[in-house]
Amino acid sequence: MQTLLPDARPKLSARARLQTDKVTGKPILLYPEGVLVLNSTGHAIVSLCDGKLTLQEMTAKLTGNFKAGNPEQISADVAQYLNALRARNLLDLLSEPPN
Amino acid sequence: MSRVVPRPFSLLAEVTHRCPLHCPYCSNPLELAAREGELGTEDWKRVLNEGAELGILHVGFSGGEPLQRGDLAELVATAREAGLYSNLITSSLGLTRQRAEELKRAGLDSVQISFQADEETLADNIAGATAHRKKIEAAHMVRELGFPLTINVVLHRANIDRLEKIIALAEQLSAERLELANSQYYGWAFKNRAALLPTRAQIETATQLARAAKERLFGKMEILFVIPDYYSDRPKPCMHGWGNRHLTVNPTGDVLPCPTSGEIRGLRFDNVRQKSLRWIWSESEAFNRFRGTEWMPEPCQSCEFREIDFGGCRCQAALLTGDAAVTDPTCALSPYRERLTKFLGELPELEKLPEWDYRGLSIVKQ
Repeated sequence: MQTLLPDARPKLSARARLQTDKVTGKPILLYPEGVLVLNSTGHAIVSLCDGKLTLQEMTAKLTGNFKAGNPEQISADVAQYLNALRARNLLDLLSEPPN
Repeated sequence: MSRVVPRPFSLLAEVTHRCPLHCPYCSNPLELAAREGELGTEDWKRVLNEGAELGILHVGFSGGEPLQRGDLAELVATAREAGLYSNLITSSLGLTRQRAEELKRAGLDSVQISFQADEETLADNIAGATAHRKKIEAAHMVRELGFPLTINVVLHRANIDRLEKIIALAEQLSAERLELANSQYYGWAFKNRAALLPTRAQIETATQLARAAKERLFGKMEILFVIPDYYSDRPKPCMHGWGNRHLTVNPTGDVLPCPTSGEIRGLRFDNVRQKSLRWIWSESEAFNRFRGTEWMPEPCQSCEFREIDFGGCRCQAALLTGDAAVTDPTCALSPYRERLTKFLGELPELEKLPEWDYRGLSIVKQ
């Protein structure tokens, strides 16, 4: 299994579609045979998976956004979310930013 | 009686029973609907819109072979406009490049192609049609057009020993998801179960191989492995509960709690030509019959797993005992489990396997 390195650039797979749930108004991630309901942290993380930012940059950005949270907790949340996405094969890990 | 009606998440749109393949494990009913009885385009569009209003997020276009319908792209476009995530569940026969491009423009989200085996002779023998080579071509084309690709292989006694090669084929075709789904015994599969059911040793080997592949391909290919529940001690949480998350609309417009429940005798199913999807989901007799836990007999009623496996599968209870309202006989706690265990102990030897009864064909194999 490929380890999630700090310089990897996570990009949400084309299999997944981020949209707002009509019933609850919450952000959801749709993919073949499944759905993830995102909380605000999850939504912030998934929104940054554009293949341009490295994992390290993502975490730094999120730490800036959530001033109340502690950086270690945010780092752990990011890792947990990204691994949940990888387990469903919803994340591409780019080594270079896309053109 | 007041009850909380849950929200449905997925809709299986069985738009036709017509199919160029004749797989002996098909879960379609033995009595297949004729083309003349199929719902029309406008009815299907209404079903999709009403489904999205109910909260449904996923629609699977299935059948039979959904490509047999000329209005498929129109239905896909309606689903897309309603915000549904759409999946085409296909044999791929009839998926020309032009057709695939048309579906892409209509907003189809993903494609699932069935394979019968890793190699042509066996695969075509199982399908009862010349199909394997066309499927390989279609899978490449689907990836070229940028669709996410799922490959589904129904496993049974004749192909389960080729699991490593099947997984290798899925890798070669750059599938992003692989469903290794052992046949479940309903419809045509039930009719053929003595010939299809693998031995316990076959299941054990396959389980280990699937687990290893899952680990090796983590982050590259999502692998789902489903065992035949006859070999389980606990029933599967069928549909995550009756009338809880899922509904199926069959080719003639009957709304079913699961694709095979139409075969349960004594249950009356409402039709979208007469009633709204919302009414059928929340009010109809069929959807409320086994909803929740109140209907449960013992040993389910007092079981700590009752909200985990929901008493298993109603269709299986009906098929194996004649009564849809008893505990699924795959459960070790079912008074009928012994019958199933006896059946497993009497599986025919390989050289004495009965011939398959092919779906929709009355040809006896020589």
